[in-house]
Amino acid sequence: MVRDPEPRVKTSLRAWLFQPLPPPPAALRRGPLRPGAFDSRSRSARLTSLLGIALAVAFTVCFVTGLISHFIQHPPWWFGWPSRPVGLYRVTQGVHVATGLASVPLLGAKLWSVYPRLFAWPPVRDPVHAIERAGIAALVAAALFQLISGILNIAHWYEPMPFFFTAGHYWSAWLAIGALLAHIGVKLPIVRSALRHRTPERAPAGSISRRGLLGTVGAAAGIITLATAGQTVAPLAPIAVLAPRRPGTGPQHLPVNKTAGGAGVRDAIFAPGYRLTLTGPGRTRNLALADLAALPQHTVVLPISCVEGWSSTGTWTGVRLRDLVELAGVDPEDAEAFVESLETRGRYRATTVPPPHVRDPFTLIALRLGGEPLHPDHGYPARLIAPNRPGVLQTKWVGRITVRGMQ
Amino acid sequence: MRTARWALIGAGGLVMVYAIAGALTDPDVKGGALLFLIGVLVAHDGVLLPLTIGAGALAGRLVPMPVRTLVRAALLVSLAVTVVALPLVLGRGRAVDNPSLLPLPYGRGQLETYAVIWAATGVAALVAARRRRSAGPADDSRAGRRSRQPRSHKPPSPNG
Repeated sequence: MVRDPEPRVKTSLRAWLFQPLPPPPAALRRGPLRPGAFDSRSRSARLTSLLGIALAVAFTVCFVTGLISHFIQHPPWWFGWPSRPVGLYRVTQGVHVATGLASVPLLGAKLWSVYPRLFAWPPVRDPVHAIERAGIAALVAAALFQLISGILNIAHWYEPMPFFFTAGHYWSAWLAIGALLAHIGVKLPIVRSALRHRTPERAPAGSISRRGLLGTVGAAAGIITLATAGQTVAPLAPIAVLAPRRPGTGPQHLPVNKTAGGAGVRDAIFAPGYRLTLTGPGRTRNLALADLAALPQHTVVLPISCVEGWSSTGTWTGVRLRDLVELAGVDPEDAEAFVESLETRGRYRATTVPPPHVRDPFTLIALRLGGEPLHPDHGYPARLIAPNRPGVLQTKWVGRITVRGMQ
Repeated sequence: MRTARWALIGAGGLVMVYAIAGALTDPDVKGGALLFLIGVLVAHDGVLLPLTIGAGALAGRLVPMPVRTLVRAALLVSLAVTVVALPLVLGRGRAVDNPSLLPLPYGRGQLETYAVIWAATGVAALVAARRRRSAGPADDSRAGRRSRQPRSHKPPSPNG
């Protein structure tokens, strides 16, 4: 340690931080606050530690996969996302949602195991204790925020959330992970000693033992996973009775998130004067649907992978985006394309296709799905479909593409 | 370990500051997010968890001893499934023009899931009862158990 230059300041701060606060009147010590209000024989530091470790792993998985999804949609300068393997995002986002759902019983059991501590007496001993308790309140609130807002989002139930889901879920994730780091720092000695020393089971007869509770949590997580994972793992679909989506269910056997009617594009997509405006440096072309169909057609099998954790594979036919980039007079090996929908408004009406995806021959402006012209809800007359990309960035009802070389 | 702990606490504190600053400067996060943050905390700690503990206590009074632990475990699993299923069952997110969204009869799905949970619980109870019978006269004390042959497949025993 470096010698403290101002020992007196440090000592007085320390003294203030650990200065005992006056206890509240004992008359307030009622209900759950009274001594022995909880039968805590089923609870133990070991149980809480084991649940805490599992939860920390689950939340880390959710945080990392969620951050990946966020960065793909809002890339910072240092972030790059490849176009292969084609199903990578399908896996990371499927894991994100499945892990979040499986965390429900884990978080429930963890909070139950420490519930008596909410009513500890005195409520705060000193300023440091007050800070720690505020941090725990933030951790619990943010963890509940993550799971509950996520569950509401996959069920498309937005009324209970008086904020924009994506932004709220994102910032509360940082709050949860920050509070989790600090919490681990505070509790590390307790966890270490709880894991080193096996404490005997003390659960009274008829209560669930420590091992029994861990098994129960595992069973609950397993059942939730089996009942929902079929939204992205197609072989599990028949038993996915609680999946918000079924991979094969929807027009042309593919689920839809935003319909043509909902996007307000029904008139524009069927207008006889529809043209795809293709702009490069110094040249603009207007391509009718027949012009697009006259260009070399390619067929690829690619999934639509939604941020909500469902995914479904389709067989898409259309023009390679790199061919259109070349048509616009730009080298497709190092170019970026700004793809705009016929939607006049909406957060996701346009997207930038980065160089790896422009280069990739699997990236299409698709005209057909499963051999048929695109269903209006799948983006008729033309839509973007690229490998390894969130569905929300697979722009439908494409009206304009602006190409830019990267040099 | 002391250094690691302070590093974790310091890093965690900084990340929390980043979260709060980010939320405050993001025009998409309105006061509603704070309301929701407090709301879920109060709803869980003040309503759901006390009700759960109360239901567990009620099970302690109503359910006979040999199956009490199993019933409590099955109640917990059912509760966890309900938390995930409820928004689907209520179906408030359904859209008239998008039948591919929430396409299933989730009320039935939830009942089927309960059926699986409770059928498994019933089987586990029967297995436990058979074990008890084959082990001789009813004796649930730990000492009694330990004196007998250890078993490779131990059912979730009533007293753990």
